[in-house]
Amino acid sequence: MKIKKGLVLREVADSFVVVAVGEMAKTFNGMINLNETGAFLWRRLEKGCTKEELLTALLSEYEVEESVASAHVDNFIKGLTEANLLD
Amino acid sequence: MQKYRIAGVIFKANFIYALSARLMQKYQYFGKDEAEFTAEFNLEEIELASKDFPKMPLPYVENTLIFKKFCDFVLNNKNGLIFHSSAIAVEGKAYLFAAPSGTGKSTHTALWRELFGVKAVMINDDKPLIRLEDGEFYVYGTPWNGKHGLDTDCRVKIQAICHLQRGEDNEIEPIDAKEMLPVILGQTLRPTGVEQMDKLLALTEQLLGKVGKFRLKCNTDISAAKLSYSAMKGEN
Repeated sequence: MKIKKGLVLREVADSFVVVAVGEMAKTFNGMINLNETGAFLWRRLEKGCTKEELLTALLSEYEVEESVASAHVDNFIKGLTEANLLD
Repeated sequence: MQKYRIAGVIFKANFIYALSARLMQKYQYFGKDEAEFTAEFNLEEIELASKDFPKMPLPYVENTLIFKKFCDFVLNNKNGLIFHSSAIAVEGKAYLFAAPSGTGKSTHTALWRELFGVKAVMINDDKPLIRLEDGEFYVYGTPWNGKHGLDTDCRVKIQAICHLQRGEDNEIEPIDAKEMLPVILGQTLRPTGVEQMDKLLALTEQLLGKVGKFRLKCNTDISAAKLSYSAMKGEN
């Protein structure tokens, strides 16, 4: 899985926001707000990775139960898929 | 070719249609300073652009192209961003009300004019330009002034920006930069280049750190204007 080309994550005014540039800006003119964990996962998805790799990364970075982390990753991917932001 | 000065930026422009010449007439510049860029589009370019605005008559497409060229130039070179809002000045301080079209920002600044009479100066009712100059944020009138044609060729320091929403009763509260960020980004012209986007985000972040930020829920009673002014004017 990989974030679609043209979506950029930036830190502005103490918040993580995703906006579109280039061709992507023609179809996506909104703005996505991410929390810190969301930004952490997004950065990995920018490079492309599997769901398992996301879970492993999340577990090594944050002290969290595996079931909680797994649900979080599932939820995050579901949201991105529904918004059509993944390739 | 005729020169124009909008928001302190001098440029040359040439038009196919009379509409732009008429709208921008007040901003003609007859001084000696050099133009910094030229805005001129041929019919082919205007027709091509009209595909993005299917129902817009060509004179308006031409005007939109000039507007976009101007916005790109000021973002790239002048620390400026266009902000879809109704901007009004009272006693040398500017107040900007932002909301999607049809919410009532023009109605609210009309209440301010009713309240303050000649003390209130309408800077621009639709698309004023914000610029960072010497560490301060100012708002300028532009010819892109909305359906009531309200604008003044002037520059006023920004006191506060307000996100306006409709409400049964009138309420106003200060909000933080994080809450105001989507309002600014949702009501400006977004560039498509990465570098320009980063410029816009950096400028927006500085703006949010510098001016007052409020959210107003309001009806159309004059008391709404009294409330928003007293909350936004700050210490004197």
